[in-house]
Amino acid sequence: MPFRSQFSWLFAQNTTIAWVVFGLVIAGMAVSVLLSWRKRRRGEGPARRAAANRLEAGYVLGLFGMAIFLVVSSFVANARDFPDPPKPAARIQVLGYQWCWQFHYAGYPVTMTGECQAGRLPVLVVPAGEPVVLDVTSSDVIHAFWVSYLRFKTYAYPGHTNTFTVTVPKPGRWIGRCAQLCGLYHFNMDFWLQAVPPATFDRFLRSDGSLAGAGAS
Amino acid sequence: MTSEARLVPYAPPAEEDREGLSGWLLTTDHKRIGILTIGTALVLFLFNGVMALTMRAQLAQPDQHILSPQGYLQFMTMHGTGMIALTITPLAVGLGVYLVPLQIGAPRIAAPRATLLGYWLYVCSAITLIWGFLTPGGASSSWWGYTPLSTSTYSPGPGQSLWTAGFFLSATGMILMSTTTLWTMLRMRAPGVSMMRMPVFCWTQLVTALMVVAAFPPLLAALAILALWRLDPSLFTGHIWNVVYENLFWFYGHPVVYVMFFPFVGCVAESLATFAGRRFFGYKGTTISLLAFATGSMAVWGHHMFVTGVQVNDYFSLTSIMLSVPAGIEYFGFLGTLWGGRHRYTTSMLFAMTFIPQFLVGGLTGILVANPAIDYQVNNTYFIVGHFHYTLFAGSVFGFFAGFYFWFPKATGIMLNERIGKLHWALLTIGANTTFIPFFILGYDGMPRWMATYPAGAGWTTLSLISSIGAGIIGLSFMVLIYNVYVSARAKVPAGPNPWRAYTLEWATSSPPPRYNFNLANPVPRVRSYAPLLDIWEQQRERRREGQPWAASEAPAPGAPAPGAQAAAGPPRQSPPDPPPSGPGKER
Repeated sequence: MPFRSQFSWLFAQNTTIAWVVFGLVIAGMAVSVLLSWRKRRRGEGPARRAAANRLEAGYVLGLFGMAIFLVVSSFVANARDFPDPPKPAARIQVLGYQWCWQFHYAGYPVTMTGECQAGRLPVLVVPAGEPVVLDVTSSDVIHAFWVSYLRFKTYAYPGHTNTFTVTVPKPGRWIGRCAQLCGLYHFNMDFWLQAVPPATFDRFLRSDGSLAGAGAS
Repeated sequence: MTSEARLVPYAPPAEEDREGLSGWLLTTDHKRIGILTIGTALVLFLFNGVMALTMRAQLAQPDQHILSPQGYLQFMTMHGTGMIALTITPLAVGLGVYLVPLQIGAPRIAAPRATLLGYWLYVCSAITLIWGFLTPGGASSSWWGYTPLSTSTYSPGPGQSLWTAGFFLSATGMILMSTTTLWTMLRMRAPGVSMMRMPVFCWTQLVTALMVVAAFPPLLAALAILALWRLDPSLFTGHIWNVVYENLFWFYGHPVVYVMFFPFVGCVAESLATFAGRRFFGYKGTTISLLAFATGSMAVWGHHMFVTGVQVNDYFSLTSIMLSVPAGIEYFGFLGTLWGGRHRYTTSMLFAMTFIPQFLVGGLTGILVANPAIDYQVNNTYFIVGHFHYTLFAGSVFGFFAGFYFWFPKATGIMLNERIGKLHWALLTIGANTTFIPFFILGYDGMPRWMATYPAGAGWTTLSLISSIGAGIIGLSFMVLIYNVYVSARAKVPAGPNPWRAYTLEWATSSPPPRYNFNLANPVPRVRSYAPLLDIWEQQRERRREGQPWAASEAPAPGAPAPGAQAAAGPPRQSPPDPPPSGPGKER
């Protein structure tokens, strides 16, 4: 199940509407082709009416109604997307640089990094089921922190910090990627997001960032 | 009957164009400038298309290195910048330069030398951008050129500087050309051609010109900042300048999307109306919606920045989604025109009809990504790449070909081969959808944009391969197009003034039109609506019904299909055949 429930319902709702609209337009075109064929068979000329004020007013109103419904849906999802953050279990500084990531745990001497190549990806370790605050920034160009499983990304700007709170519901490991062109090895800037049980996370913070020492894999 | 013929409103200047090559390169004839612009853009289309095919070859399999990472980024930057600044925008603007004066009965374009300067600035921009592409390192910051990646600190080479200059020149040229078409429409319409009697295509050009004039200068500002930044990085320190660049860039970057869209909506509208055999439906609503769309286009740029964390997401979600209202009105116009028509499925009509559902895919996914809550996931992924290729390629390029097959006989005087044209259409339709449908799934599955290559374990191999095969089919279809132009140029089937029985003023004059568009042999007919030739045919039918046989017995005149053209295009198969529009005035 995707992590951000706002994405799930809104994507499903919008996609359903899109399919219905697409189907209606295709059906409209198909009927127009059939009508044309019938006109030709009966030897009739094309219709000469070029405006129909009531019909046009009707579809303008319909379009407005649909657009307002979609805007309200978007606003509702936006408002629900970032509720007041609960007290976090940890605060992690996510630093993007050309071309890898560094994760520093505020208040602990723990910093995770890697080389972003040959399988040595940095690992962002978070406690499962507990909220953590991520402070996303960059030391050179603009990067973007993206974990597809979280259904969320945000920019890593130099000289600016974007903050968001995330609660990963269950233990597991997911791939994260850079989602903003940042130069030559942009395509290599991958990392792991790993959620571990809270007890393991506590041991991880006290063991200088060694996951093996914390008994997790 | 002489009252139906109007004299050309402006006396043609005495000077004549030079002969030969310099007659083309230094021309003040808007038709020649238009053909030069469209021709140059089509050549660059092939160039940028080869970029795309090379990238698709690289991405057909994981971990490939046909291109180095650096080479890939250069190709991608050239493909993006080239398609937008050197291909689709010039095609959109160039169609207007060619057609607008003809469609409003003007003998020339306003300020033809400024138009020509615009063309040459565009040529200079193409040379500069390609020169930058060929320098070692080239430009590799994508067509956005986001700072600080594009600054001299991170992109020190001359390639990025040339990119900045080239992009600047292109925008300047387009501003000049659009200004003159706008001026022409506002000031040089023939008597009788009121604003609300301009063809739909002219209206699309009018809103396009408004957007170019309003939205391209901010790009010039952004590029000027970038140029200064590259000269002295200490001038622009601090986070705020990145945000300034992004806002200025997208203030251009979104309206330009509609600049690359509306003229092709105009092509589709003219083609649909002609080949459905009736007036375009909902003209008034469509013109109002075009103006509303152009206005709204100035207020949606922030939706490109939903994930930056520094933008007002709710506001831009509101404005972006509301654009579905004018877009929907235009769609009802298309459907209303098809509905109740008697269709002729020419190549142009097939392209126009394919435009409708394919652009719709781009438009509907556009509504999806106008939701920040959805965009947080799909932004900067292949989902977005799929979205804008459906609008720009499966939409605008199909619209362009609807116009290309429609107006080629007018511009050259010869017909394109319809059978080869339909093969081109079929291959392009198959190729475009095979290429771009996988992008949506790839993006949803987590494939970011700008990937020079991808690991085998990521699960993107099959879809990427399908997409690459589709790109090959697109390449093949362009071969068919070139072959068609070659075959048709040799066959030389004469088009006559009006091979399609179309309704707008350009079809009342000869093919190709005379130097000043209309003359005593080809006068501007009386204009009483946005479909003037159809008015004349309907009036003549009325007269015939009322027992005035003299109306039908007049000599064929401008606007009447040539017999040879009918043989090539297929006869209109209408019964009873309408009399040609009256075109007396030869005696005057």
